Parts: sequence; structure tokens; C-alpha cells
Amino acid sequence: MFISNASLIMQKYFNTKIWISVLALLIALPIFVVAFSWLLPEHELWAHFSENLLHNLIHSTVILLLGVGVGVTLLGTILAYLVVMVEFPGRKWLEWALFLPFAIPAYVLAFVYLGVFDYSGYAQVWMRETLGFSGFDIRSGSWAIILTFILVFYPYVYMMARASFKRQKINMIEASKLLGASPLKTFFQISFPLARPAVAAGLLVTLMEVLADFGVVGLFNYDTFTTAIYSAWGDYRSIEVAAQLASLLVLVAFFLIYFEKKARGQAKYYSTNVCNVKPYQASGIIAWLITLFVFGVFMLSFAMPMLQLLIWGWESIAQELSAKYFDLFLSTAILTFSAVAITIVIAIILALPRCKQDSFWLKNVIQLATLGYALPGSVMAVGLLYGINQISVINIYFGGTSLNHLIFGSIALLLLAYVSRFIAIAYNSIEASAQQIKPVLTQSARLLGASQTRLISSIYLPILTPGILAGGLLVAVDVMKELPATYLLRPFGWDTLAIQVYELSAEGLFERAAIPALIMVLFGSVLMLIFQVLDKKSSSNNIPLVNETECRHCR
Amino acid sequence: MLTIRNLSIKYNKKTILQGFNLELAHGEIFALLGDSGSGKSSALRFIAGLDEVHSGSIVLNGKSLSNNGQHQVSAENRDVGMVFQDYALFPHMSVEKNIAFGIHHLSKNKKNARIKELLLLVDLSGVEKKYPHQLSGGEQQRVALARALAPNPKLLLLDEPFSNLDQKHRENLANQVKDILKKTSTTAILVTHDEAEANKFSDRYGIIEQQQLKDKK
Repeated sequence: MFISNASLIMQKYFNTKIWISVLALLIALPIFVVAFSWLLPEHELWAHFSENLLHNLIHSTVILLLGVGVGVTLLGTILAYLVVMVEFPGRKWLEWALFLPFAIPAYVLAFVYLGVFDYSGYAQVWMRETLGFSGFDIRSGSWAIILTFILVFYPYVYMMARASFKRQKINMIEASKLLGASPLKTFFQISFPLARPAVAAGLLVTLMEVLADFGVVGLFNYDTFTTAIYSAWGDYRSIEVAAQLASLLVLVAFFLIYFEKKARGQAKYYSTNVCNVKPYQASGIIAWLITLFVFGVFMLSFAMPMLQLLIWGWESIAQELSAKYFDLFLSTAILTFSAVAITIVIAIILALPRCKQDSFWLKNVIQLATLGYALPGSVMAVGLLYGINQISVINIYFGGTSLNHLIFGSIALLLLAYVSRFIAIAYNSIEASAQQIKPVLTQSARLLGASQTRLISSIYLPILTPGILAGGLLVAVDVMKELPATYLLRPFGWDTLAIQVYELSAEGLFERAAIPALIMVLFGSVLMLIFQVLDKKSSSNNIPLVNETECRHCR
Repeated sequence: MLTIRNLSIKYNKKTILQGFNLELAHGEIFALLGDSGSGKSSALRFIAGLDEVHSGSIVLNGKSLSNNGQHQVSAENRDVGMVFQDYALFPHMSVEKNIAFGIHHLSKNKKNARIKELLLLVDLSGVEKKYPHQLSGGEQQRVALARALAPNPKLLLLDEPFSNLDQKHRENLANQVKDILKKTSTTAILVTHDEAEANKFSDRYGIIEQQQLKDKK
């Protein structure tokens, strides 16, 4: 009896293990495929790329990462320190307002800046006419794109540093004061060193986002690995070189993931109490200067771009808004809804089984499947294209037909790219909820006579629902604004709002691009608002909505 | 030496302490007793220069630090040391760096000599390179005391510093700290809710009852 029970359990465990492994490996497929591209390299074109372009690509990417890295670290940390440690006019609402740039996709902010500061934009026309200024090319050099990225991505460092500063014990700051330390000395010797791992984690997430970006670099005509991947595929029609370039990007991303995990591990909280007392009171002119600085960042990163979008939207609404927007909206909604549904189902399958906690293999395979969040959408797309291409080659070799028609547009392929890219977000949310289902809960329910159906409907689902909703909302926001994978893999006639924004703004039609951008920002904000409400509700019930140590989307 | 006049504390317009007057001679140890919420810790934080209150003035060694509830000298410049209830040691700094924090202006040799002297005083020689999390509660407490004493404060404030320790260690450490304060002739105010501890530790103690300070010893 005992043996038959044990073998039944073994069989069940084994099956679950296989299913989870197959699913996880399928999701991680694009990562494997790009790595395997080196087994069948296209020597001639790769030699051309590596001799003529690789040096410049590395140079421009390093400059970009360095500039943005320094910028977001300084801006994010200073803003977080000011709102947590110093009392100044308007601090309360500015503390929350500084999160708002998260609602604007990076490429939307980029096209607004281009529209305003380009040669024919308001700012330069005004400078030429009133100041006699000869003008400048916003696309030359790297300063403008670096500034744009800083304004888009500083909230990552701000978010992490703010949480860390809030959890520092007020007593330590006071002890430092009583030992005669000035506010600057306290910042450099106490507050910043304690927050350094959190700042580093925010910085590394930012660098991953910059590395993954396609829209901003595309609009600024700035060459990085993502644009080169697209060029290898789009211009040279070489999926092999695209995959080889993508694999280099994967390598850099892996380094960043490693350091990010390390930094998060060190970002210990020193107090469980959130500190709401401000150790420093700014007064007089200093207080107003601080307000001006923080308000200035908010204006530049959110309020002014939104205002500009609204003005452009108003000017072009009659011309731009037509029946085609119904199609754009519909295809965006179908893709988003399908991606969310599939991602959530897979995330539940990966997160729920308890057996994974004892299995080294399953833990690692799931970790591999959730690495996609750090990888650019272009890598996902190229991985899948290259994979299909190789399957085609094998199929033809064995007398079959080419599968390449799949390359030129298949919703299934695009959805798989979305799932690979965003599974981590859904997984972390659902995993956080699943951790609340303690074995003792199931055991008590069963002892009280609950059937399997009742166990699922009365215990599992109610506990998992907040995680499912939160994961779904966050995935929806990201799928809606996703650009590179959609750009490379979308089937004919399946343009999304994000594609419309990118294509119109790439042609300099900024006024027209404002309409789809505003629709996206509006829907993104509504989804984030619902998320915040859910988050607040869960916090009051003491149930984490997302796994804070793992998920960078808990904003 | 230390004169506190007419200290009044209000929370949300409710008076919790009023007419608090205290005079301490050089090297005297005073203990302040009271229930939770009686205002004893708030009074201590006002004396330290961390919080302002409804009214009250403080004069230390003839120098006015606060007047009418407002601070004239900031916490950084008052020459007042404090040992917190949870010690507030800097977790990323070693013991010697924690102690050196308030005496950074001294030359390296003088600084090292002072650290050595203080570690000897609190009977912790040999732990210089250790970090706070590697020490026991009592050891952390003594490091916090050494750190607060390092800049030779004119007044030392102790905010329930023994409350995190068990009874046996509590008594031992209270005796040791008292000896150290007497050896260094440091004027000190201890806040506690344990009358026996107040009696043993201090030269004089008072209790806050019905918003007033009443002398007990």
C-alpha cells in the first residue's frame, strides 16, 4: 500500500517535473537559439560587421551606458534622498509625482523632445528668431539621447533608493548629527553607503532597459546593438548575423542580471519601520531651491511632455483620428489580451507546484525561463526567427517544405516572444501569492471535508487572484507598449498603437504621433492606477502583490 | 552646569509635560522616570536638539542652547552625546570606525589613541575590526557608549539604553556604565521606566507624574 502510494506520488511528481521543464525550456528557447547561432556562423557578413561596425557599436553603446548610468544614479539618488530625508514645500505630492514618468513609454518621451528641440521644433525656431542662435543638431553626438534616457529611466533608481532611505533607522541619522556630522557628511558616510546596493540594483535595471531599447535609439539615429540587430535582419537579410549580434547582447545582459541579483541580495533593510520623520528641515531660500529642482525634474520628465502631447493631439485630432484607429486599437487589444492570458496560464503552471521547491533542476530551469525580462525584445524576435529558419532548413533537407512563411508574420510567434519577454512579471506576482498557500491550509481544508474542486474554488483561487490580477495588469502595460519584437514579428495588417507611434514619429510627423501616444499613455495610466489600488488593498491585508526582491515592475 | 527651565511639551494640543525644571552639577548623573507617553523621551530629544517643543530653555556651561522651545544651537554643534535605545550603530562601519565618526577632526595618531583608550574603558579591547552584527547586545551597547563619549560631550543622554538586555546583563552593564561615567566625570541624564535601575544608577532621580517632574532622591 505504502509502496503503491509512493510510486503514484513519484509518477505524479515526475510528470509535473517534465511538464514544467518543457514549458520553461520552450519559453527560454530564444535565448538558446541565439547562443547556438555561433555553431553555424555566416563568416563573410559577420567579418564585414565585426571589421566595420562592431568597434563603433561597442563604443557608442558604452558611451550611452556610461552617460545614462552616471546620470540616473545622480538624479535618482538625489531626488530620493531629498523626498525622504528633507522637508521642503510640496514634498508630499512631488514624492509621488516623480513616479509618473513610468506611465510614458521611452520612445514617446523621445519623440516629444525631438519634436520640440529638433531643428524645426519650437525651441530652436524661437532661439534662432529671438536670440540669433545658429541652432544645433539634436541627433549629433550622444548628449541629447543620454539626457532623454536619464529623464525616462531615473524613476528606477529613485524607486529603489527611496525604499532604501525610508527603511534606514532615523536613530542612525540622529546619532550622526549628535556626533557633529553635517548633512553632507551624514549623506556620504551613512545614508548613501547603506543605500548603495539598492541604488546599484536600480542602476543595473536601467542599464538593461537602455540596452533593450529600440525606439529611442531608432528615433535618434543612434547606433547600438539593437539597431544593428535590426539592420542585419532588415537591411542585410541575414538572420544568422542578427542572431550572433543578439547573442553578444545576451552575454552583456547576463552580466547585468548577475550583478543585479547580487546587489539586491545585499540591499538589506535595516529597519522594518518605514521612517516618516524627516531628519532635516529646509527653510528659506534653500527650501524653495529644492522645491524648484524637484519640480523642474517633474516638469521636464512628465508634465511638459504630456502638455506637448495634448497640444499636438488637439491640433491633429481632426486629421488623424479616423476609422483606422479602431483597427489599431483592436489589434493592440487582441494581442495584449492574448499575451496576458497565455502568460498568466503558464505562470500559474510554473508557480503553483510545490515540488519545484525541492528540485534543483526545476528551480534553475524556471530561473532560466524568467531571464527574458532582462533581454531586449529584438533578441526574443531574432531567436524565434532564427529557430524557425533552422527548422525549415532541416525540414527541407528531409524532403519537407520551407517553414519560412511563418517568419513573415505569425501571431503565434509574436505571442511566444511576448511570453518569453514578460513571463517573469506574471511569475513573480503569482509566485508571491502562491507562497501564501501554506500546506497547512490545504491540509485543514481537506480535513474539513473539502473536495478538490472546493479546494481550488475556495482556497487556491481566492488567494491567487490578487497575484493573477497584478501580474496580468503589469504584463498588459508592457505588451501594449512593446516595440522591437512587435516591429520584427507582427503579421501583415497587425500594426499596434506602439508601431503607429514609432512609424509616425520616425517620419517626423510628431503631431500625428501624439494621438496614438496619448491613447497608450491613457490606457497605461488606467491599468497602473488599478494596480496601485490592488496593491494598497493587498498591503492592508499584509499580502504582497508582487515579489519585491525579484520584480522590477513593482512600481 | 545644565539648567533646564519651564519645559512644556504638547502633542496634538494636549499637554503631556509642563513646568519641567532641572539643574545638574558637573559630573552629576540624573535619572528620569516615567510611564510610556509621559514625555520623558521627548524631553531628552529636546535637550539633544533633535526636536523642538512648545516652550522651554536650556543652558549648558553658561551657553544658551535653546530658548522658548526653539533651538539656538543645532544638534550637530551642541556637544551633547546620546546613547539610543537600539544603539543606532552604523552597520556598515567597523567598531573603530563607529567610534572614530565623531572625532574625525583629530590627527590619525590622536584618533587611534582615543579609540584605544575608549575600548579599554568599556572593556572591549580587540574588537576594533569587528562589525556591529558580530557583537552581542551588551557589547554593542558598550560600543555605542564609547562612540558617544569619544568627542568628550559636555552632557550625555541615555535613552533606555539597557532595555534590550536581559536582567543579569542589565544590572552588570548599568554598574559598568555608571563607573565609566564617574571615571570620566561626565554629566548624564538616563531615561528609564525601571525605578530600581534609576535608584542604583543615578546620583539623583525624578519621576514624571501628572505632567510634572517630581524629585524622588
